[in-house]
Amino acid sequence: MRWFYHSMIGYWITLLTISLGISAVIYIFWLHDK
Amino acid sequence: MFEFIIAGVQSPWLLLVLTGATVGMVGGFIGVGGGYMVTPALIVFGFPGYMASGIDMTHIAGKSVVATVRHRQLGNIDWVLGLAMVGGTMIGVEQGVRLLTWTKTIGLSGIVLLTTSVLVMIGLFIYTQIETQAANKVAMQMEKEGIKVGREITTSSLPAKFQRISLYPIVRCKTARIVISMWVIVIVGAITGVLAGFLGVGGGFVRVPALIYVVGASTHIAVGTDLLEIIVSGGYGALRHSMMGNVDFIAVLFMIVGAMFGAQFGSIATAYVRGPAIRYILSYSLILATVGAFLRLAYMLTGSKYAVLSFFAVVFTLGEMFFLCFFIMSLVLFAVRYQKGKSVPDWIPSLVVQK
Repeated sequence: MRWFYHSMIGYWITLLTISLGISAVIYIFWLHDK
Repeated sequence: MFEFIIAGVQSPWLLLVLTGATVGMVGGFIGVGGGYMVTPALIVFGFPGYMASGIDMTHIAGKSVVATVRHRQLGNIDWVLGLAMVGGTMIGVEQGVRLLTWTKTIGLSGIVLLTTSVLVMIGLFIYTQIETQAANKVAMQMEKEGIKVGREITTSSLPAKFQRISLYPIVRCKTARIVISMWVIVIVGAITGVLAGFLGVGGGFVRVPALIYVVGASTHIAVGTDLLEIIVSGGYGALRHSMMGNVDFIAVLFMIVGAMFGAQFGSIATAYVRGPAIRYILSYSLILATVGAFLRLAYMLTGSKYAVLSFFAVVFTLGEMFFLCFFIMSLVLFAVRYQKGKSVPDWIPSLVVQK
C-alpha cells in the first residue's frame, strides 16, 4: 500500500482509478443514453 | 437535466459547471485553453460537434481572461514575447486553414487530420516526459546534496541554439529574462499557428512546449504568456463562431461559472510548484487526451454498435479531466504540508517550491 503513496507512478494509478470510478458513476446515472 | 434551446439538446447543467471548473483548473495551471478536453466532453454530453466547438471556444475566451489576470499578478507574463507570438500565430492560423482546405480538396483531410494530431500529441508527450524526468532527477540530486533548487530546472539545450541566431531585430524579453531574435518568436508562433489552424484547435498544447524548449522561457512564464495569447486567438474564434450561430450562450454561462473558480485555483497553484511539475501535468494531459480520442474513434469505427466501447470512451473522456484536477490539488496540498515541515511522499520535494 505504501507504494501507492510514496511512488509517483503508484499515486498516478491511485488517482486515475478514483477519477475513472467517478466518471463511471456519472455515466451510469446521467450519460448512459447519450 | 436542462434544456438548451439553441443547441436543441437536454443535458445535465451541473456537469457543464463541473467541466468548466476542472478544465479551468488544468488550463490555468498548464497554460492551455483545453479545447482538446472540452470539445469531446461536450459531444459526450449530447451537443452536436459544431456547437461543441463554438461553446468551447467562447468559454475559453472568457476563462483565459480570468487566468491571465491572475498570472499577471504572479508576474508570469512577458508582454513582448506574448505580443510577438500573437503576430506569428495569426499569420500561421490562416495558412493552417488553407492547408486544411487543400487536403479536403484532394480527399485526405480526415486521415491526415487524425494522423497529424496523434503524431503531434504523442511526440510532444515523449519529448516532454523524457526532458522533465531528467530535470526532476537533477532537482532530486540537488535536494539530496542540500543545494538550493530554484523554481525552474530544464535540461534541454535547444533554447541556447535558437537564442544564438542573430537576425535583426533582437528583442529583450525582460520578464522572461531572454534576449532573442524577433524572427525566432514570430516563426515559432507561425508554425504553432499552422498546426492550430490545420487541426482546428487553439494550439496551446503546442505553444507552451515551444515557448519552453525553443524560445527558452521558463515554464511559469510560458504558461502565463500563452494564456495572454489565448485571449486574442480565443476571442477571435469566439466572435467567428458566434457570427456563424455555433454558440449556445446558456451552456457557455454554465461553463464559465465553473471556470471562474477553476481558472483562479489553477493559476494560483503554479506559485506552489516548480517548472517540472507543470510540464508533467502537461505531458499527462496530452497522452490521456490521445487515449480518449482513440477510444472514441474505435467506438465510431465499429459502427457505434458496442455499448462497452461507448462506456469506456465516455468514462475516459471525463476521467482524464478529474485525474488532472486531483493531481494539481494534490501537488498544492503536499506543497503546503512540505512548507510546514510535515511528512509528504518521497517524490514531492523536487516538484514543489520551498518557502
